[in-house]
Amino acid sequence: MTTALSHYLEVIRDNLRIDLPEESEVISELETHIEDRLQELKEAGISEEEATKTCLGLLGSAKVIARQIYEAHSQGSWQQALLASMPHLLFGILFALNWWHHISWLSVVLILVIGTAIYGWWHGKPTWVFPWLGYSLIPVAVVGLLLPHLPKGWTLLTIPLYFALALWWLFCIVVQTTRRDWLFSSLMLLPMPIIIGWFLTVAPDGRLTETSLQRVYYFAPWIGLSFLILALTIAAFIRLRQRWLRIALLIISGLLTLTMVAYYAGGRLSLSTFVGLILVMWGLFLIPPLLERWLRRGGGRLKRRRSYRPPVQMAN
Amino acid sequence: MYGYQIIKELERRSQGYFKFKEGTLYPALHRLEKAGLILGKWQLLTNGRPRRYYHITAKGRSKLAVERLQWQDFLKAMDLIFQPAGY
Repeated sequence: MTTALSHYLEVIRDNLRIDLPEESEVISELETHIEDRLQELKEAGISEEEATKTCLGLLGSAKVIARQIYEAHSQGSWQQALLASMPHLLFGILFALNWWHHISWLSVVLILVIGTAIYGWWHGKPTWVFPWLGYSLIPVAVVGLLLPHLPKGWTLLTIPLYFALALWWLFCIVVQTTRRDWLFSSLMLLPMPIIIGWFLTVAPDGRLTETSLQRVYYFAPWIGLSFLILALTIAAFIRLRQRWLRIALLIISGLLTLTMVAYYAGGRLSLSTFVGLILVMWGLFLIPPLLERWLRRGGGRLKRRRSYRPPVQMAN
Repeated sequence: MYGYQIIKELERRSQGYFKFKEGTLYPALHRLEKAGLILGKWQLLTNGRPRRYYHITAKGRSKLAVERLQWQDFLKAMDLIFQPAGY
């Protein structure tokens, strides 16, 4: 196959953003189509260069084809929508029923979150796994919250180390997720500004004290409500086909939920903190696509496993 | 039938009327497959190349019957509209 046709298929592959087995099947199918067309054109006495040009013209825009195939494959089932929104629902219920302080319930939810995230990660990273993956970062955040409670010298010693390790861990997960699709990184990190917003509402000085736990009791129904909104957002995201609608949904829902947090915080979040959280939210939608571009350009060319071959049987 | 074959068949049966960007056939095939109206299966050809063949499913056949009926009703209605006045 000529360089122009290989490049054409590469553009389609880069813009497909579907599961790896499906991606390989689509590319194999188009490859066979191109070979059939080239063979026919060459048999008609057309030169290879001219045949390639004609073939590309007949196929149409690579980006349009990739977008249409993405839309054919992107819509998840209702089951997948429920599975994807489950971590938000679980945390929503924990807070709505004020069960968040029961260590047993909290442990069950956390074990479920981590177990499901690990299972999904090692089973092809399906779309539903990314919301779970975001919550699996909670133990990392909890360790960070416990650090200020260490003896003074230890706190100063461990905080820089913790931040370096936590950021490195976050970066690794975001890079891996962005290799699948940058939109999933945004989906995964969507609750982050909302959780930070609630945390700063109950613990403005960054330390969890008895008073801040009492505030969690007070704000629990609203915290639960914000998780339930996130759950609905994720369910709608899974059911939508068009990419631009998915992006718009995440942006609008994220900003509205953050505004709701500020509203119910009743003045506990200062304007500058709110603006900072809005910027964090925008960062979630700007950094992943930029990271994807960087990964595609430099040494970080997207290295998705491409050795998959479609399941075939012998023709009769 | 496979994708390339479908394109050639459409072109032949429509006597060259239907000529569209060939790449756009595959999203349509994938949409139909997702809806359970057709089923794609890979087959290895004797020259070692894999090729995806599509077959219509039972659900696809009943959907086709409904769509065909609607199309025939539409054509009938259009014929009646275009008939010269007084007939």
